[in-house]
Amino acid sequence: MSAQYAMIIDSSRCIDCRACVAACKVANKVPEGFWRNWVKQSLPVPVAGKPGRGHFQPGACMHCEKPSCVTACPTGATYKDASDGIVKIDPKLCIGCGNCIPACPYGARYRDPVRRIADKCNYCPERRAQGLAPACVDTCPTKARVFGDVNDPESEAGRLLRANTNRLVRVVNTKTDTQPHMYYLAATAPLDWPAEAVIRPPMAALIKAVTPGVSALVGLAAVGVAVMAGREFLAGKSKDHEPRDRS
Amino acid sequence: MRKNLVAMLTLALMVLAVVGLALAEGNGNARKGKYLYRKSCRGCHAAGGAASDLSPNSHTQAEWKKLFAGWESIKCANEWKALSDEERNDIFTYLHDFAADSPSPAKCS
Amino acid sequence: MPDQSHRRLTRRSFLKAACAGTALAAAAGQTKVLSGLVAEAGAAAAPWQSKFSACDMCFNRCGLIARVENGVVTKLDPNPKFLKSRGMLCAKGNAGIAQLYDPNRLKYPLKRVGARGEGKWQRIGWDEALDLAASKMKEIGEKHTRCGMWFTAGSDLQSQFVTRFAEVYGSFNVTSHESLCLLSNNRAFLDTFGEVPFADVLNSKYILMAGANRFEALVTPDSIDLMTAMREKGAKLVVLDPRYTKTAALADEWYPIRPGTDMAFMLALSHVIITENLYDAAWVAEKTSGLEELAAHVARYNPEWAEAECGVPAADIRRIARELAAAAPEAMVYPGRRSSDYENSTQIRRSFAIVNALLANWDRPGGLLGAREVGLKKPGYDAPWYDDNPPERADAGRAPMMFEEDGSYVLMREAVLSGEPYPVKGWFVFKTNPMQTAPDQGKTRRMIDTLDFMVVVDITMSDTAYLADLILPAPSYLERCDPATALQGSSACACVVQRDPVVPALFESRPVFDILKGLAGRLDLAEFFDFDIETYRAQQLAGLTGAKEALEQDGVYYNPSKVYGIYEGRIYKTLSQRIELFNKRYDQMGLDPLPVYSPPKKGPDKALRLVVGRSAIHTQSSTQDNALLNELEPTNALWLNPADAAGLNVADGEAVEVASSAGKGRLPARVTPDVPPGLVYMATGFGSISPTLTHIHGNGCSIASLLADGYDAISGNAALHETFVTVTRSAS
Repeated sequence: MSAQYAMIIDSSRCIDCRACVAACKVANKVPEGFWRNWVKQSLPVPVAGKPGRGHFQPGACMHCEKPSCVTACPTGATYKDASDGIVKIDPKLCIGCGNCIPACPYGARYRDPVRRIADKCNYCPERRAQGLAPACVDTCPTKARVFGDVNDPESEAGRLLRANTNRLVRVVNTKTDTQPHMYYLAATAPLDWPAEAVIRPPMAALIKAVTPGVSALVGLAAVGVAVMAGREFLAGKSKDHEPRDRS
Repeated sequence: MRKNLVAMLTLALMVLAVVGLALAEGNGNARKGKYLYRKSCRGCHAAGGAASDLSPNSHTQAEWKKLFAGWESIKCANEWKALSDEERNDIFTYLHDFAADSPSPAKCS
Repeated sequence: MPDQSHRRLTRRSFLKAACAGTALAAAAGQTKVLSGLVAEAGAAAAPWQSKFSACDMCFNRCGLIARVENGVVTKLDPNPKFLKSRGMLCAKGNAGIAQLYDPNRLKYPLKRVGARGEGKWQRIGWDEALDLAASKMKEIGEKHTRCGMWFTAGSDLQSQFVTRFAEVYGSFNVTSHESLCLLSNNRAFLDTFGEVPFADVLNSKYILMAGANRFEALVTPDSIDLMTAMREKGAKLVVLDPRYTKTAALADEWYPIRPGTDMAFMLALSHVIITENLYDAAWVAEKTSGLEELAAHVARYNPEWAEAECGVPAADIRRIARELAAAAPEAMVYPGRRSSDYENSTQIRRSFAIVNALLANWDRPGGLLGAREVGLKKPGYDAPWYDDNPPERADAGRAPMMFEEDGSYVLMREAVLSGEPYPVKGWFVFKTNPMQTAPDQGKTRRMIDTLDFMVVVDITMSDTAYLADLILPAPSYLERCDPATALQGSSACACVVQRDPVVPALFESRPVFDILKGLAGRLDLAEFFDFDIETYRAQQLAGLTGAKEALEQDGVYYNPSKVYGIYEGRIYKTLSQRIELFNKRYDQMGLDPLPVYSPPKKGPDKALRLVVGRSAIHTQSSTQDNALLNELEPTNALWLNPADAAGLNVADGEAVEVASSAGKGRLPARVTPDVPPGLVYMATGFGSISPTLTHIHGNGCSIASLLADGYDAISGNAALHETFVTVTRSAS
């Protein structure tokens, strides 16, 4: 079986210190105003004497089984790598059209204003190449995150996943369940925040017509010029790169 | 005569006790005492020195009192003789005021 | 967790050069560095260099590994072998790079040329700067005795050199930052157990936390171990805090105790424990003194009385007392850290310590532990004696139980302002920022105006530096050679860390050690600074077998010293030589030997009590201008209960004017049930007056501008929670 890298998160251990957010930002040189990951919080109105009931939920790209961002991408720049299950962006193919951004129900993507392409969590390949865990995992004070190949029963992630099959919680929008590979142990909150994936109509039509051929097409030099022009045009005008709400 | 002797002895003892008390009372200059301690004692009483590594917090206040009350009988009493009463009292005050059970236990640096 | 040990650290030759020299800095221009930072990852193909260091973004000193690419630090990672932090690095630690490459850093010595606070500076060379500082110090020493110079150093591995310098220069007037922090807590535990304990949170089954917010105000290993104890070992956490902090949010139980009434709760715990015989009678009889007096003292403090004072239901107090006693000795009333809260903070914390003593939560797993042996030596020196000096510190005698090595900032300020008992006219400040962290900013400002000379050594132009006559740029912790330091990590470890430069010092910055050495040379004190830090470190580590090698190989040395039972056969360092429920010395000094409850002061009509605290993103006032941390937490707001907000006609997000006896400020309101009616909260470190701190200049409001300058009657520690404010909707 090929690998499926995933994150198993015990969000009940998260204290919202945002070490993961800072570590990711530095490791991946994420530009000012943008983030590849977040901590959401659920803090019901406090009641004296009762358990605090607060819950902090770390998140990022969920590297879904059925990624709607891949569907929305007109050039094939966004793809799910069959070898490791990681949803990746090929910077050479991305035209910065921004279609993938609303297509992600989790708000995991942004358009990098410097490189003018889409960006999101990629599980820190540079760090893994040097034998290190992704920055957010490595730095986490309470070790709320476990990263690894869940298809490998020997890995800690695989072991945790198997040991907790009936206790795993996925955070999804039921209308567009992308089958995320980010698993929360036992319980998590808030659960109601994923949006419905929006795949922009013109692009959807285009994809329907030409999907198999698109990535081959953009490889052609002539189209490559169009890609560059498209990047300039789209990145300059779109407002999709507003700072995202980290609630 | 015998009565007189007893009285004189009593007086002498009382004087000694008062002097002892005055010394034990401290109220010398602890800061000067720290300086003098480092200058006069620390040469030997240090880590790797000829004598034990001593700091104010090596003893309790009661122990320092006892030690100073009978300073003439300690090993390095000869060196102590070079100090004036005032200087000795300053050193005592330093060691006593920063003793292990003092409000600010201190390690001599 | 990948193993780091195989990563060869090829840093020795570089370090030798970096440690020996003083100013390797000048060449590296800021622009060059910044462009290096945003360079594309194309160059990242070459493996990065890894270098050990210890974080300095707060006082915890977490072990870290710096990743360096082409001479630029690109990432700071936790050192997985560093047990005290449990191999983590928090948001602040990760943002150390933003401190190193902060474009707002001080770059060269600056001499004030305009009026104080006008912000007009002239760039000068180091020789001129040191000549100026030395001549001023000489002048002040001659005119006012050497105690006319005051030295203040923040928490830093090189602060010990400031103390050393002050002593050899001849001034008794040294204050640490600690009188704005934790001295009353230290006082209370020292005066109960004879030392300041460390909490074995990891092995505790029941943790009662009051006056502490461990999931936001991170302390290692406590913060981490608290979560592990709760989630892996089923420990129970009960939090008392008027504010619904993140610690409260994650607790098993939380009570919004009325501010300033923790002592009522703790006395009632003692009452229940004694009246119901829940304590370990044999242990108490053997190790403590004063049980009879305590029993008589707390007889009147029953839970019903406490409920009326603190607002926690009597039935819950009773139950918590029983649960705590049942879990003892693997239980604790957590001692806390910052206790600069009330004018009776020492007595409040004494009431915490007493419950622990009654329940024998001491020197055993899961309770409070004495300091472990680390074995680091403190190199000695003989300071000269100056006969003309006054007999005492200038702040002496204003509080009965101050710490000689820490003093009291607020009391020293009084002494300087009044000129009594003698004039203090010079101030040397290293890496601490009382203009932002000490109560009553206006008073600090007035005090500064009475000085003849003020020099500040810091990384950025803090609000305190902004008022100096001379500002000297210091490098960050990633650019310098630092002495070794001993760290206590409770049951996790007793360890030593040190720092070598990860990169050479930027701009013209110089470590405070080099500055002091330069000053000593100009003041005929060279003999006291005739060493370098490498030699000093060798003296510190002498006799610690394997320490040098461990530091090189793992970035940390552990002393496998005894953890539990270290008091067996040892006396307690108190007057009675036992754990003192009843404090004998307090009794002799005319202080309450047992904590006597008095209700918190009431504010004027309609006034709200202001409290301050921490988040996990910022450290005191030192990180708010850090670009990364500022992005995570960009400003502060006044937390206001909806009922108070409705009464004041203030909506969430609206600007409010806040006024106290000390001053006033303006900031947005955050209307939230997370604070109770009658209480407001704001975070530290915003509303800076220094314009070079571009992220926080004029952004938010400084706590120092509002806090009144009360202090703890016993220790002289500042009392930051005794301030009442009036809040009005902002006109504009």
